[in-house]
Amino acid sequence: MNALALARRPLVYVLLSVAAFVSVFPFYWMVVGATNKSADIVTGKPSLGDSLFANAATFFATVDVARIFWNSALIAVVGSLLTLAVSSLAGYGFEMFRSRFRERLFALMLLLLSIPFAALMVPLFVMISQAHLTNTYAAVILPGIASIFIIFYFRQATKAFPAELRDAARVDGLKEWQIFLYIYLPVMRSTYAAATIIVFMANWNNYLWPLIVLNTADMKTATLIISALTSAYTPDYGMILFGTVLATLPTLIIFFLLQRQFVEGLLGSVK
Amino acid sequence: MSGLKLRGIRKSFGAVEVLRGIDLDIEDKEFVVFVGPSGCGKSTLLRLIAGLETISGGELDIGDKRMNDVDPSRRGIAMVFQSYALYPHMTVRENMGFALRFAGVAKAEIDRQVTEAARILELEPLLNRRPKELSGGQRQRVAIGRAIVRHPQVFLFDEPLSNLDAELRVHMRIEIARLHKELATTIIYVTHDQVEAMTLADKIVVLRDGAIAQVGSPLKLYDDPDNLFVAGFIGSPKMNFLKGIVDGSVVRLPDHGNQTIPLVAKAAHGSEVTVGLRPEYFKAGGASQLDVTVEMVEHLGSESYAYARHGAGDVLTIATQNDRELKGGDKLSARFDPAKALLFDPAGQRIR
Repeated sequence: MNALALARRPLVYVLLSVAAFVSVFPFYWMVVGATNKSADIVTGKPSLGDSLFANAATFFATVDVARIFWNSALIAVVGSLLTLAVSSLAGYGFEMFRSRFRERLFALMLLLLSIPFAALMVPLFVMISQAHLTNTYAAVILPGIASIFIIFYFRQATKAFPAELRDAARVDGLKEWQIFLYIYLPVMRSTYAAATIIVFMANWNNYLWPLIVLNTADMKTATLIISALTSAYTPDYGMILFGTVLATLPTLIIFFLLQRQFVEGLLGSVK
Repeated sequence: MSGLKLRGIRKSFGAVEVLRGIDLDIEDKEFVVFVGPSGCGKSTLLRLIAGLETISGGELDIGDKRMNDVDPSRRGIAMVFQSYALYPHMTVRENMGFALRFAGVAKAEIDRQVTEAARILELEPLLNRRPKELSGGQRQRVAIGRAIVRHPQVFLFDEPLSNLDAELRVHMRIEIARLHKELATTIIYVTHDQVEAMTLADKIVVLRDGAIAQVGSPLKLYDDPDNLFVAGFIGSPKMNFLKGIVDGSVVRLPDHGNQTIPLVAKAAHGSEVTVGLRPEYFKAGGASQLDVTVEMVEHLGSESYAYARHGAGDVLTIATQNDRELKGGDKLSARFDPAKALLFDPAGQRIR
C-alpha cells in the first residue's frame, strides 16, 4: 500500500463524517430543541432539556392539531394514491405500447421537468380559481398527480418487467387493465413502495403550492401552520420545534415501514 | 378437429418484413417443430398463431375457424414460454389455476384440474411453493402444467428448454414427448436446437429469412433435403460441401486433385455444382474415395470425427467408427458410396 492510498482512507472518513454531521445535525437540533425553552434554544444549548411537556402543552393550546394533521394526512394520502395510480399507469403505458411518437413524447415530457414550479404557479392558480377550486383539497392535490418524475421512474422500472409475463397473462385471458392490476402491480410492489415514500414525503412536506391555494385556517396543513408560528413577534421555538418533530413522524413511520422495499425498488424490483 | 391452416401469412414491423408468405398445414395431434437460425421468424410465427402479434396479411385457421383477429385466450391455445413466465407472486397452484379463474370456472373444478395436471407432471409436493423456490426444471414443468389445465386444442412451445442445463434438457425432452402421447393434442414447438427438432417432431418446418425452406419428417429432411440451407442446417456435425464441376457423366472435384465421382443427377456439362456428403457417408468399401490429411480428431467414444483436408481445400468432417488410433497428420483415403452424394445447383437448390 503506497502513501497516497494510506492517506486516502482517513480523508474519506473525514469527508463522510462531515456529510453525516450535515445530514444528522438538523434532526438532532430539532429533537433537542423540542425539549428546551425558547430562551435556551436561542443561546444554543446543545443538550436535552426538561421542557418537552411544556412545549407540547403550548403547541396543543395554540394549534388545532387534529385539524391540521387531518388536512395534511388527507392531502398526502389521497394525493399519493392518485399520483401513484396515474403516474404508474403512464409509465407502464410508455414502456409497454409501441408508437411512432413514443420516444419524442417522452423526451418532450422530460423537457418539462426543467421548468421551475415558480414559473407554473401563476397559470396553475388561474386555472384552479377559474375551476372554483381555491381553498379545497382538490386544489392542492390535482396539479401533482401526473408527476413527470414518477412517470419516468415507473417507465424505467417497467423495462425490467418481463414482457413474457404480459404475454402469458394475455394468453390466460386477461385484458390490459387486468394485467396491470393483477400481474404488474403485485410484481412491481417494491417500485411502488419506493415511489410511495417519495410521493408521500413530497405531498406531506409540500409548502409553496398549499400556501397559495389554501387560505382559511381550517383548510391549512401542518407544514403551513407550523411555519406560520415563526412569524410571531417573539416566536416560541421550543413549541415550534415540538410541532416540527410531530410533523416529521408520519414520513419517518412510512419510511421505516417501507425501507426494505424502498431499497429493492431503487435497485429494481423484478428478480 | 384441431389442425391449423396457414395461408400466405405475412408479418411486418414497420418497413421490415419478418414473415414473407407462410403456407403451412398442421394436422390434428401432430407434433410440429419450427426450426431455423436466429432471426428467421420462427418465434414471430408462433406469436402470430398465439395471437400475441397481429397478422399483417394472410389467413390463419385453427380447427376450421378463422382466427386472425380472435383474442389469444379464445383461440384454444396454450403457450409455454422460454423464460417460463410464471407469475412470481403466486404459488404453483395459483399459477396453474389462474387462467381457469379468469374464465369463471368453479373453484372445485379448478382444484380438480390443477391436481390432475400436477399428478401428470409430478408436481404435487410443490403446489404451495412460489416460483422462486423452484429449480429451472420444476419451473418449466409448472409452465407446462399451466398450459395443460386449459385443455387447449394446440400447445405452443417457444424454445422451452433453452434455459435448462444439458442433462435436464434431455430429461425434459423425453417428458415432452411422453406428454404428447398422453395428451394427444397438436403441439407446435419452436427451437433452434436441431436435436430437439429431430427427436420430437412428426414434422419439421425449417424457416429461413421469413420463409419456409422445407417441410417434412425429420428423416426426410435429413436424407432428402431440398436445398443447401436445409442440408447444412439439419444434421450435426454438418454435411460436407465440396465444389464440383459436371464433366460429361462425372463430377470433377477441383479441390480434391480433380478426382471424379459418377454424376448421380441430371446436370448440364460444365455447370458448377455443390456436392453434399454427410460425415457418416464415409465408410470402408465405398466405390469412390478422397485422399486427405487429418488435421484433428475428436474421439467421442462410440465414434470419432476426423477433420481433414486435401491440400488447401475446405475442411471435411469424416465420421469413423473403429479408428481409435487415428491422429492429426495421418493420411486417409476416405471411401464413400457416390450414389449417396447430393448435388445442388449454384442457387443452392437440389438437383435430383
